Amino acid sequence: MKPDYDVIVIGGGPAGSTFARYAAQSGMDVLVIDKRKEIGVPVRCGEGLGLREVAAQDIEIPKRAISTDIYGARVVAPNGKEIVWKEEGLTTGWVLERKVFDKWLCELAIDKGAEVRTYVRALDLIRENGKISGVKVARWGKDEEEIGAPLVVSAEGMEARIAKKAGFDTVHRLYDVDTCYQYEMKPYDHQNLIELYFGNRIAPRGYVWIFPKSDRRANVGIGIGGNLTDWDKNGIPGADPKKLLDEFIANHPQLKESSTLDDFGGVISVGAPLNEFVRDNFMVIGTAGKQVDPIHGGGIALAMEAGLLAAKVALDAKGRGYTRDSLLEYERKWKESAGRKVAKRLLLRKAVEKLSDDDLNHIFNSITQNDLNSVMAGNFAGPVAKVVAGRPQLLKMLSALTS
Amino acid sequence: MIRIRHEGCILCAGCASVCPTGALELVGNRIEYYPEKCIKCGACVKVCPASVVTLEK
Repeated sequence: MKPDYDVIVIGGGPAGSTFARYAAQSGMDVLVIDKRKEIGVPVRCGEGLGLREVAAQDIEIPKRAISTDIYGARVVAPNGKEIVWKEEGLTTGWVLERKVFDKWLCELAIDKGAEVRTYVRALDLIRENGKISGVKVARWGKDEEEIGAPLVVSAEGMEARIAKKAGFDTVHRLYDVDTCYQYEMKPYDHQNLIELYFGNRIAPRGYVWIFPKSDRRANVGIGIGGNLTDWDKNGIPGADPKKLLDEFIANHPQLKESSTLDDFGGVISVGAPLNEFVRDNFMVIGTAGKQVDPIHGGGIALAMEAGLLAAKVALDAKGRGYTRDSLLEYERKWKESAGRKVAKRLLLRKAVEKLSDDDLNHIFNSITQNDLNSVMAGNFAGPVAKVVAGRPQLLKMLSALTS
Repeated sequence: MIRIRHEGCILCAGCASVCPTGALELVGNRIEYYPEKCIKCGACVKVCPASVVTLEK
């Protein structure tokens, strides 16, 4: 079929919009389709974003997309012992208004010349002689339509149906997801710190978070292992994050009096990224490629990083027919940079999830804010040595982090 | 067969992301279920954060 565009991007989240922005400003003819009625809605996210993570993007996030500046984090052990990690007077990140942020990021792409169509669902890939040549879509209430393009980019997020049809292993195993529930609550008076509560009773294989927002609001959420089977859910065992979150809130001195403004939840990827991100005429970016931080399930920064990287490679691949070989540079570069960080974070997640509450308490008693700084920066050796000095039996569990 | 209590569904599509056969999909403001694809593995039931998916014998 005749190409209508150079590239069709499926999904107008941070990955898709970033790809589209860069591709369009570099002269590519870009169409973004999104199955949602409105870009950025519904929000399925804790809305946190680290400052360092977007430095490479060369964009300035507008005030209206930022709910609150974050100065650091308060991390609380099962026994209540807390460590506050903060860089005095410095903003280390933000809690966003994702609805505003996603729409703004998408508007940037439109400003650069990309075309965006909402409420359009990708049904399947179009192939000619086995080669991808476009996407079959459905507009709500209208007939199916075929759109031609020599390159299709999956920025579909968790579901990633089209990437699956293209042959990628996009299904998430229960062990590699966290199931999450979150309330937007008010009033909550805070000190611009992200708060994380650990403990196998509070949040098995996960944690409770409080992300402060403007106007005395906060996102109060929980993520727990998707493979947990300690609860009876309608006759079969499964994880029940809402129940645990409600228990946490009922025991929290401030939140137990607060109102809820929004209920939301979701399932986040905390496993390994895909092994491959490109095929002939096809790329996968962002959460669709499981490019997610395995500790906190955050995907915004990784999505934007991949979007930019993929668009740069796609631009060079234009003259080479978007073959797998011509797109492979994106995969190689991603694995060398972001992929290495994600692999380290996955090791950390797998070590932490084996810890008992007693172990967690011991760790919090052994380390300082400086140690936490090191861990945040990916340097585990010093803090691990300290922890292990007081409890040698943890050596085996934590040694993977220092090798 | 699974059953979805749609009025309690928060449309997170978590069920669809763990479904190995593509039997669940978020379409507009509703999770669609394609029973002919379902293998009754229960993954959707286990992860549903709102506990609105149930497996029927």
